[in-house]
Amino acid sequence: MGPLLLSERKSVRAHHPLGASTGYMDEQRGDWQRLVEETLFISPLVAELAALTEPEFRSLIAYLDTNPMLPYRYLSVHAPSKDRQLSDRELVELIGRLPASVDAVVIHPDTISEPEAYASLGRVVTIENMDSRKEDGRDAVELDRFFEALPEAGFCFDIAHAWSLDPSMELAVSLLDRFAERLRHVHVSSVSGDCVHAPLTAEHERLFLPVLARCSDVPWILEAPLRED
Amino acid sequence: MVEQTALNRLAEMGSGFPNLLRARAYTEASLESKRRELASLGEDPDFAVIMFGSWGRGELSSGSDDDWALLVDGPPGEGVEERISGLEGSLGHAERKPGAQGVFGGPVFCDDLIGNIGLDEDRNQNLTRRILLVLESVAITNPELHGTVRDRVLEVYLDQSIKDFRPPRFFLNDVVRYWRTMCVDFVGKERREPEGEKWAIRNAKLRTSRKMLFASGLLPVLLAARFNRAQIRGYLREQFSLLPSDRIAEAFLEFGAIDAGLRTFRAYDRWLGMLADADLRAELEALPREDAQGSRVFRDVTRLAEELEAGLLTLLFDTDLYLQVRDFGIF
Repeated sequence: MGPLLLSERKSVRAHHPLGASTGYMDEQRGDWQRLVEETLFISPLVAELAALTEPEFRSLIAYLDTNPMLPYRYLSVHAPSKDRQLSDRELVELIGRLPASVDAVVIHPDTISEPEAYASLGRVVTIENMDSRKEDGRDAVELDRFFEALPEAGFCFDIAHAWSLDPSMELAVSLLDRFAERLRHVHVSSVSGDCVHAPLTAEHERLFLPVLARCSDVPWILEAPLRED
Repeated sequence: MVEQTALNRLAEMGSGFPNLLRARAYTEASLESKRRELASLGEDPDFAVIMFGSWGRGELSSGSDDDWALLVDGPPGEGVEERISGLEGSLGHAERKPGAQGVFGGPVFCDDLIGNIGLDEDRNQNLTRRILLVLESVAITNPELHGTVRDRVLEVYLDQSIKDFRPPRFFLNDVVRYWRTMCVDFVGKERREPEGEKWAIRNAKLRTSRKMLFASGLLPVLLAARFNRAQIRGYLREQFSLLPSDRIAEAFLEFGAIDAGLRTFRAYDRWLGMLADADLRAELEALPREDAQGSRVFRDVTRLAEELEAGLLTLLFDTDLYLQVRDFGIF
């Protein structure tokens, strides 16, 4: 009697829980209440509030300070990854202002100068693997030093980032081999040639599902809308 | 050489479960110490000193209670009170006093465990003692009697109604009943004592240790459906001689859900690490219910609990086990 692997399923839609990142919701950008409402169309259980710039992050903190009613069982916040001006310690201080209801704060390792600065945040820190445009945090070897400095940190597995570096998916498998125990959630999408997140193609869905079968117990978060079909 | 238990095998596939394995070693050393201490009381074939809770799960920490009982094979009577008095000097001192519900810290009569299953006489206390005897107990004295009584309880569950290639329904229903009773009683206590002490740590234990314990009973009972009637008895006896975490680890290994198993036990390992940390434990013990959601420590526990639950759900619903869950888990 063998396991019924998720790879035997035919669609990412079959995963539970499957939530949305606000990162692709350009029309509502800046209006956190509307962004939250948009995520609820995908799932009331899981979401990622993406504050990719420092001003956005400050506005997100201000929004969460109003104690909005959020129904999520798992709430991730994506920390600023573009045009970083804050030092690591300044960013840590800001992250510390997020409410306890935030389960994970995703941080791009290539923006980190001083990994140890994040240690005080404990389990909330979640390090994401990077794409082919980046110069650090792309594979298990490069990620190791961050996790060594942050023993409680989680791993956010971006499968499209791994594909951008190795379409054979061997890198994706090696990341899961190395960091399986730390895995907190998965980012799901395709990426374009210049590594911009795009709706998951049918071809990528077929390619990714056998790898994603190893992630069946964690939330999956869409970094682009699902294609229409 | 490290014993190759299912938990050890799973641990070797990841970075290890240091808190779990440390707790096992501590439990073993503490059991040996208690056995030496109680040896002077002498053996009697009708009595056995049994430890439950974290002792029975192999998860003892310095802050654990001594959940002990004197298992009595026979009616209440001669020698019981005297034996209890003799034990009170060695078990359950001060902060290690067993819980206030009266389940432990006294005699447990085999006739009640076996004779009163279901109906009015099977009160919560009796249900709890019976299920925990099977799921998480270990003998300090007279392991023969302990094993015999556990087998006798199993025999009642595995009566003539069991069928080939079906889970034993009577047993399954009692295991599920126990878990749901714990959950209902948690709220019952909350309603009766809104300012009740230790809400946060009791809630945390329900989400973690108690849920794992339930899974350690549910899994073997469901998996018994792989065997014919003659084989079910031996399978369940063997399973319930293992530690609860080994029963769960074995299921993850057997059904190939390795990644989910690693994450489940990593989360559980971190929870045991928190319990063994005197400061964190004290914070959870003192945390009022109204402050719990704002507490980072409590939120960490709930996150660990959700990871643990998600792993168990993957085992139950994303492997071939879902066939048993679908057919027998609800009705």
